[in-house]
Amino acid sequence: MKRVIILGLCLILVLGLAVGCSQKPTASVEPEKKSDKEEAKAEVDWPTKDIKIIVPWNPGGGTDLTTRTIADEMSKALDATIMVVNTPGASGSIGTQEVLNSPHDGYTIAANGMMPFVSYSVMGYLKNTYRDWHVWLATFSPNVIAVNKDSQYKDMKTLVDAFKNGEVSVGTAGPGTGGHIGIEVVRSSLDFDYNHVPYGGGNPAIVAALSGEVDVTPQLSMEMIDMLRSGDLKGLAALTEGPLQISEEIAIPSLADVIPEAAKAVPMGESFGIAVPKDTPKEVVDKIDEAFKKAIESEAVKKFAEEKGVVVLGYSGDKAQKFLDKLASVVCWTLYDAGNAKISPEKFDIPRAE
Amino acid sequence: MISQYIIDALQQLLIPINFITLLISVFFGLLVGMLPGLTATMAIALLTGLTYRIAPDTAILSLVGVYVGSISGGCQSAILLNIPGTPASAATATDGFKIAKRGEGGLGIFLATTSSFLGTVISIFCIILLTPLLTKFALKFGSYEFFLLALFGVVICGNLTSGDDSLKGWISGILGLFIAQIGLDGLNSYPRFSFNNIELMGGITLIPVMIGLFGFPEVINAFMKEEKQILNITKFKMTEGFKIIKKNIVTVIRSGLIGVMVGIIPGVGEDIGGWLSYWAAKTNSKAKETFGQGNYEGVIAAEAGNNACVGGAIIPILSLAVPGSAPAAVLLAAFWLHGLRPGPLMMKETPYFLYQLCIFLTAGAFMMWILSQIISKFTVRVLQINKQILMPVIFVLCTVGAFVINNRIFDVYLMFIFGIVGLFLAKLNYPAAPFLLGVILGPMADTNLRRALVLSKGSLKPFFTRPISIFFIVLIMVLILSQLNFVKGLKKELVKGAK
Repeated sequence: MKRVIILGLCLILVLGLAVGCSQKPTASVEPEKKSDKEEAKAEVDWPTKDIKIIVPWNPGGGTDLTTRTIADEMSKALDATIMVVNTPGASGSIGTQEVLNSPHDGYTIAANGMMPFVSYSVMGYLKNTYRDWHVWLATFSPNVIAVNKDSQYKDMKTLVDAFKNGEVSVGTAGPGTGGHIGIEVVRSSLDFDYNHVPYGGGNPAIVAALSGEVDVTPQLSMEMIDMLRSGDLKGLAALTEGPLQISEEIAIPSLADVIPEAAKAVPMGESFGIAVPKDTPKEVVDKIDEAFKKAIESEAVKKFAEEKGVVVLGYSGDKAQKFLDKLASVVCWTLYDAGNAKISPEKFDIPRAE
Repeated sequence: MISQYIIDALQQLLIPINFITLLISVFFGLLVGMLPGLTATMAIALLTGLTYRIAPDTAILSLVGVYVGSISGGCQSAILLNIPGTPASAATATDGFKIAKRGEGGLGIFLATTSSFLGTVISIFCIILLTPLLTKFALKFGSYEFFLLALFGVVICGNLTSGDDSLKGWISGILGLFIAQIGLDGLNSYPRFSFNNIELMGGITLIPVMIGLFGFPEVINAFMKEEKQILNITKFKMTEGFKIIKKNIVTVIRSGLIGVMVGIIPGVGEDIGGWLSYWAAKTNSKAKETFGQGNYEGVIAAEAGNNACVGGAIIPILSLAVPGSAPAAVLLAAFWLHGLRPGPLMMKETPYFLYQLCIFLTAGAFMMWILSQIISKFTVRVLQINKQILMPVIFVLCTVGAFVINNRIFDVYLMFIFGIVGLFLAKLNYPAAPFLLGVILGPMADTNLRRALVLSKGSLKPFFTRPISIFFIVLIMVLILSQLNFVKGLKKELVKGAK
């Protein structure tokens, strides 16, 4: 009798473990099994099976939410099932590598935030650069310079004056993250010093601004949109080319409009998109392009953008590459100068931003 | 309006698919909680991806069920094996295992799960009634306070677990704090104590350390002891259990409130909630010396405290969209995934969500209680199994548990290394719990102290000008001074004098 109980117990325990262990691998098995026939077929008839988009971050993050919205619409346009798979690890490079390892046939698509995506080469995570991909840019979430509603800084001008006196503390998600890069860009165009206070993530940095521990937070619009709408935080300027309308009543002025000297700092922020390796067959790329454009124009994406306070981009091809060129210059050099990136951007022909 | 929301939520519960989902997810949560190495955070993260296509109500119900289940499940392995299933139940093991050794494992689990249930219910009341107020309180915690809270946690844990010599507890705690500093630092990603080793640069993962410290010594001990004593299980009556709970109802409520407070402070979670309530229970008890010897109140306090954190951690999610603990962070991501937007606009846009969530939590807690009673009927028999047969099985589970966290073999080596460390600590009478808490709170203490100094430009002054900060400094000083022989002597004199 006792034996039976022991065995039963072990079985339950081991089964529980098996469930835990088996989750990640299952996702990665599928695309490897491909016959040559299918490859040939792909040129005329694509897609003939399920498509997988790899989000290299946890569910619920910016990349994940954007991708799922786009994927739903693209699957309607392509009349195929698109699975979104989360493969987090090593700043998103593990999932991106998985796309490179899979056959380059458009059945495995990468999704990512473009700041980490362009920095993998200088960080030493991946050997290739963003130039080795076809990239589609869906949405853009700008940095917003925000302060507590009771802050003494009522507009961007007074804040810039205080910045020049070197008295302002700025809370970000940490060195090399979107918020830090945003404020660095503003700093380099206006030439001031600030007290950089890094937090463990965007959320704690925003809370610090909310509680008044730091004076300013330059995190992404997406991360604090509801705080801005409810008026708990006040957006002094957005790093956008035009004003950022976040609700019917509230529009955050563009930094370029309120501080013209800082015009070259905009646009700055995180953009989210999808990508396939450059050597994917042209026919497939065209089909993805078509579906992507349909998705971008859909109501669902519009609604998502409105809710999250992001701007719909819809860039592809050369336009996307140009956008990334500019972003890479800023991001890679900021990371390199801050000591986060070990490999010089020069090695990958990424010039310093003017 | 409110009653309408509550009725709606109750109706949703009665839909068969939802009810079955709750049953399965709580059961899954309990299993995850019981197994060392599988954590609440992991279970919720796993489920979040899986539930994307499911209707939001059902998905949220399953996530809440797993959350409540996994935080409570940890107590079973803590009580029966002295190996906490999750870091949150480390405080439960202190008295729980002694209770089980007396043959009262069933009663121990009953007390633990019942107080878990009550802790969750108390936290739900706090969610409904006090969300705006408590959010303000949470915002009062800045970097200065976080550092002192972390320090306070390690100091009281050292004090509580070391019996008569607190110094040993503190030494163990400081070792833990040191271990936590290995790897890339939290502010500037500068590698510390990593000797250019890529694995060490990634840092020492918590779970392998926990499994090593607690699991390994138990496995070895089973083979070292000469006598082969198999425990008898004394049956207990539920009414007896309820009587004990009733007697300690003040402890339950106090622990519940402490748990809620700890839960709402972002970054501090279930693990420290259990210890703080345990400390409060011991301080207020008339029979302090029985704590650590299998006192029922110890188990009740720890479990009510850690489960109340569940509700506590949800409060800042609802009001600020900021999670109060690691599993709550994953839960918030799941809410977003299902198109729910908790935060400052929630009460305006989707007020029903608050009540729905509270009803789901209550249902989850209730289901957890029922399932735990059923499961414990089987799990207590673990005590009857010959340790030399049981422990190799546990050892395999420990090894696998250490591996699955990051799927890297280095964590298994870590488990062995800390297992040997744990063995020596146990032999020399150094408690392992402060070591573990040191590893948990090390990053928090380190980054917040340095962030505080960045904010104040190197000045220590703010530590002595902020009210909550002073409160913690005084508490820490009192705790440390009370252990000095000089003060102890003075106290005796005073008592004599009074007589």
